[in-house]
Amino acid sequence: MNNLMTREKWQTIKSRYSIYLVLIAMIIVCNLLSPNFLSARNLSNISTQISVTTILAFGETILIIGGLLDLSCGSVLALAGVLSVYVFKETGSLSLAFAVGLIVGVLCNFVNGILVRRFNIPAFIATLAMMTVARGIALLFTKGQNIYQIGDYVWFGQGSIGFVPIPVIFMIIIGILTWYILGHTSFGRSLYAVGGNEEAARASGINVGRIKVGAYLINGVFVGLAGIILMARTNVGAPNSGQGYEFEALTAAIIGGTSFSGGLGTAGGTLAGAFIVGFLNNIMNLAGVDSYLQQVIKGAIIALAVGYDMWAKVNRTRKTLGAAKLPNERKEAKA
Amino acid sequence: MKFMKSIRTVTAVAALCLAATTVAQAENYKIAFIARAQADSFAAWLANGIMDEVKKYPDMTVDVMDAQADDAKENAFIENAVANKYDLIIVQPNNGEAQRPYVEQAVKDGVKVITTNARIKDIPGSSSVDADPYEQAAVNARLALTQIPQGANVVVLNGPSGNMHADMRRDAWQKEFFDKRTDVKIVGEQIAHWNKEEAMRFMEDWVQANDKIDAVVSMNDNMAAGALEVVKDDPKFEKMLAYGVDGTAEAMLLIQSGKMTSTALQNAYDLAAKNISVAHDLLTGKITQIDTDIDCPLVTKDNVAQFIEIHKKSGAIK
Repeated sequence: MNNLMTREKWQTIKSRYSIYLVLIAMIIVCNLLSPNFLSARNLSNISTQISVTTILAFGETILIIGGLLDLSCGSVLALAGVLSVYVFKETGSLSLAFAVGLIVGVLCNFVNGILVRRFNIPAFIATLAMMTVARGIALLFTKGQNIYQIGDYVWFGQGSIGFVPIPVIFMIIIGILTWYILGHTSFGRSLYAVGGNEEAARASGINVGRIKVGAYLINGVFVGLAGIILMARTNVGAPNSGQGYEFEALTAAIIGGTSFSGGLGTAGGTLAGAFIVGFLNNIMNLAGVDSYLQQVIKGAIIALAVGYDMWAKVNRTRKTLGAAKLPNERKEAKA
Repeated sequence: MKFMKSIRTVTAVAALCLAATTVAQAENYKIAFIARAQADSFAAWLANGIMDEVKKYPDMTVDVMDAQADDAKENAFIENAVANKYDLIIVQPNNGEAQRPYVEQAVKDGVKVITTNARIKDIPGSSSVDADPYEQAAVNARLALTQIPQGANVVVLNGPSGNMHADMRRDAWQKEFFDKRTDVKIVGEQIAHWNKEEAMRFMEDWVQANDKIDAVVSMNDNMAAGALEVVKDDPKFEKMLAYGVDGTAEAMLLIQSGKMTSTALQNAYDLAAKNISVAHDLLTGKITQIDTDIDCPLVTKDNVAQFIEIHKKSGAIK
């Protein structure tokens, strides 16, 4: 009887926390492969390296849960970052530069939200348009040239409080904020409802449009912040930076269990997803794996991790439904 | 009599108009500059340089087109430039082999073509202006022969695979340095796509895996600057050497401060000036074909001051 209880408990843990089990397995394997892996400096490096994409991934998580998407975050990040750097160089004010970065992120995402809400443009198209517009403005503004000699601005990306790097502190704050918004506010509950079934959410009195714009505004704050951190980390205001970051952010969110069909996802899962990708990149570099092979291994391990997570979730659903068969199994049985 | 006089007047006016139109046509050459990607800071620098340079020639105008690092877009721009009867096209290829048939067709259609940064070789009738990518890396590699200590650990940062400049610069390092210095060990080598942030990530990992890194061999300045950003406050890497290519404003400042060892200048202004001058010579019939290179001077702490002026002129350094 006791054995049965223990096994059931283990099954529950396995299915509910499968992505974290994958993460723990990765830590063990990486530690075996490289003695440096668990050193404080290496862990600090990995956390700093993933901070920008993880902050973007938190924004994507909020949007995807609400049935939305942001393809413009890489470009908006660059625009927010270069304008913020420019303001710092002109005024010398860190707080003003910080505010400008956030405002640019929020404004661009406000436009995204309005395009989706007022004009019913699919999020994919609206943010694709913003991706081009924001990148174009960043390049026009800088004439395609980098802004150098950014002085104390680098603190946002290279400073630290105690032994914790500033980008990691920002990542933790944004992670906690995402966790709180999703799990402990009526906005978060409405977001899950909108993403799960928009019509049912509307019928139950939720202002769907306002929730969608709200999700984009929150994402805007995160994207603006990510832009500031990236420019500071690289010590340059680069209008061509952040290319492809939207896909890295989406990858972290999806690996972390956020469902593209909406209504599912957690901040913890996204953080785990981001660390899985970060650990993978790190260990392959530490082990000196060839560049081309890295891409193959990365793709394969991401597919394995998500595959295991999905398999564990199907198992959990099966357990919840008892002996009942899943829809696809019923189809197979009929055939 | 009066009628004949009128005929003569009308004929004279018509002849004058025709002559004026012909002169105007001859003196207003249209050039299309098809840039690889305006998001690429070197391409943008080159485009800005070309726009500045053409102002010196009142008989030429330039339209800049951005291929956005996309072969299909770049090829479409070449076709459109031919269809829109541009007198000359300057092509900065995204991928030389992908653009080759379109450049060949443009030449067949009678349009003058210059390929630049990097040149597309062996297209009869087309001209080219470039900097020699092998030599750009080789000048650094030859300097490194005497600077990098015996038994050194080095890391190598490469550009995108298949890119002619990336491949030829790496080839130069192999032939001019690694083949001659078999005592040197490469402890890390990755493709960082010319990107500073990507180079930082690799360097952060290499610093963990290796107690000692004596030199960074980078195929461009941006990646070298990324590697240096990682170790800038670490006394363990104070004497680390770092080599790049391009001569960006950031690299010049790093060399001046003693953090970076050397770079080879690929001066976009020189490239722009030479492109426009060759274009003018081709259009006015002074020459019919030319393949020419700009110099790629080695920049070290000893001579960096003179090159910093180039970036002060562009406003990149204040």
